[in-house]
Amino acid sequence: MSQFTTSLPYQGFEDPVTFLQGFTNNDSDVKIKFNHGTTTLAFKFKHGCIVAVDSRATAGPYIASQTVKKVIEINPYLLGTMAGGAADCSFWERVLAKQCRIYELRNKEIISVAAASKLLANMVYGYKGMGLSMGTMIVGWDKQGPGLYYVDSDGTRLTNDIFSVGSGSTYAYGVLDSGYSYDMSVDDAIDLARRAIYHATHRDAYSGGVVNLYHMRKTGWVKVSQDDVMDLHFKYQEEKLKKHA
Amino acid sequence: NLSLGQKGFKAPTAYKTGTTIAGIIFKDGVILGADTRATEDTIVADKNCAKIHYIAPNIYCCGAGTAADTEMTTQMVSSNLELHRLNTDRNVRVATANQMLKQHLYRYQGYISAALVLGGVDIAGPHLYSIYPHGSTDKLPYVTMGSGSLAAMAIFEDGWKPNIDLEEGKALVKTAIRGGIFNDLGSGSNVDLCIITKDKVDYIRPYEESNEKGKRQGSYKYKRGTTSVLTKDVIRFDELDIEVVSEEAMETS
Amino acid sequence: MSILSYNGGDVIAMKGKNCVAIACDRRFGIQAQTVATDFDKIFKMGERLYVGLPGLATDTQTVSQRLKYRLNLYTLRENREIKPKTFMSVVSNLLYERRFGPYFVEPVIAGLDPITAEPFVCSLDLIGCPMITDDFVVSGTASEQMYGMCETLWTPDLSPDDLFETISQALLNAVDRDAVSGWGAKVFVIEKDKVTVRTLKTRMD
Repeated sequence: MSQFTTSLPYQGFEDPVTFLQGFTNNDSDVKIKFNHGTTTLAFKFKHGCIVAVDSRATAGPYIASQTVKKVIEINPYLLGTMAGGAADCSFWERVLAKQCRIYELRNKEIISVAAASKLLANMVYGYKGMGLSMGTMIVGWDKQGPGLYYVDSDGTRLTNDIFSVGSGSTYAYGVLDSGYSYDMSVDDAIDLARRAIYHATHRDAYSGGVVNLYHMRKTGWVKVSQDDVMDLHFKYQEEKLKKHA
Repeated sequence: NLSLGQKGFKAPTAYKTGTTIAGIIFKDGVILGADTRATEDTIVADKNCAKIHYIAPNIYCCGAGTAADTEMTTQMVSSNLELHRLNTDRNVRVATANQMLKQHLYRYQGYISAALVLGGVDIAGPHLYSIYPHGSTDKLPYVTMGSGSLAAMAIFEDGWKPNIDLEEGKALVKTAIRGGIFNDLGSGSNVDLCIITKDKVDYIRPYEESNEKGKRQGSYKYKRGTTSVLTKDVIRFDELDIEVVSEEAMETS
Repeated sequence: MSILSYNGGDVIAMKGKNCVAIACDRRFGIQAQTVATDFDKIFKMGERLYVGLPGLATDTQTVSQRLKYRLNLYTLRENREIKPKTFMSVVSNLLYERRFGPYFVEPVIAGLDPITAEPFVCSLDLIGCPMITDDFVVSGTASEQMYGMCETLWTPDLSPDDLFETISQALLNAVDRDAVSGWGAKVFVIEKDKVTVRTLKTRMD
């Protein structure tokens, strides 16, 4: 059984890496970059895992959309986030969904988060240097409890308690690190994630729109909320004024 | 700037006039013509700009290239010629204007990107010059310049004849500029004409509105109060006695 | 990326009936990073004369100070308020002096004539080519979006209140499609007896 049941055809030229270099270096005239600015985050805590993302898609300084779904629902107990190339993320996570379903049918049990993320990492590694652009987090729940993996198009695959990916990730990390504790309540965790994304959208020009928030539990994921960051801004501003009054 | 360019910054674009300008000598003088579009890369920045510049009472000049350069160059030469006119107490010659323009442009080795069509009538009769950004000039009976010059020249080559009369000449220049407006994407909007004869200048702007704007079907007006305001300050001052100029009377309707 | 969009920012001006309006966004950023949201790009140059200077922020400030300096010399020498059109020439000359090493600003001027109260709007490119219009002018990183908004929203002879609504919505909807501008807005409506300054509630992302 081959792991690479899906492969894009790249016949017709001998060395795809060199051929594609002309398109993938930054000063090329041919523009294939899209949706580069993003803020996504996910963290593990006592009651599972929280995933939060913004919803802006940009092409250069132009805002192409404010209503992008950057959380990809792979199946009822696996979520993937989207940063980098929108098409790359949605395509390869769809392929991943297919692979996970096949695994379930063959083995009569659901795939572990570790295995699923490794499947994805191996697939994109096969296209290394050919211009794939994705930074994704695979979040799920399996026998070992909540799982959180970071996978990117270089082939990197890491696991940790907290991750944030995208142009606004540094801002999100700032908020996350100052407010995070493993033992926090579900409500506190949701509020922290929402604030982290909001603050990232405020400072980062390429993030914005709405905050989409998911909670991964033992029974699978639930979508918690969707908030326009404009409403959040003026709500937080009011709270701040009240506190200092 | 050079070092900024090497760091990968793209130089910002100034207004350019993707332009059709042209001129002919006719029986009694000179006819100059121009389109009225100003572009900034692919954007039409000005739909009705004036490209026929004043040089002296008997001399006008069409400009193509970087808009600021044509504007400032013609302004400078115009003011120098005015001083020259006052000093010598004579009407300036077109040849003088031509010489000043070409010397100025040659000094800057083409870095001032102004391509000009200079026309006027002086004591020696009508004259028409085309001046290139590097400082070379031609003296011809019919000339065109700018990105639409090929289209316009095609019309001239077909229709020009010596000693053409006024009405025929106006029609010919108009057709030439229209050639630029409709066949060159950098040129557009209206046709301006300037007819210089021995004792009269007739600056017709616009001579023809080649592209009328479409009528808007609906109203897209926002209701008052749509915009949410955070703060509002009003600076009041004593109302000055407004001098009622006769032109203003029509605004009171 | 162009130097003109290094900091981001927009200015827009419109004519109405016996009034003019000029508006700007309030972001000061360094490429993707928003540094401040109280950076105004419109400067008062006379009782009824305002200039907006979108572009590179350092040049916004330098040019505004140099213009004020030249303007003060003019008013001192002439002992009268400057006409908007004369002021346009001052700006044009200042910018053209730097023809081969320009200030990276594209100014917008709006005002009323100090004698006749005639409305006036114009814009210049970064080397000082003036452009006078009888409807609206736009400048900055979202200029394409603003052109689109203005072409649909603007109508002749708007009253001061309607003009405010039109210019505000044109600016707001334009910057909502531009990543590097927004974060607040300021609108000046200039009439012969008063100037109304408003700050707007906008998206902050």
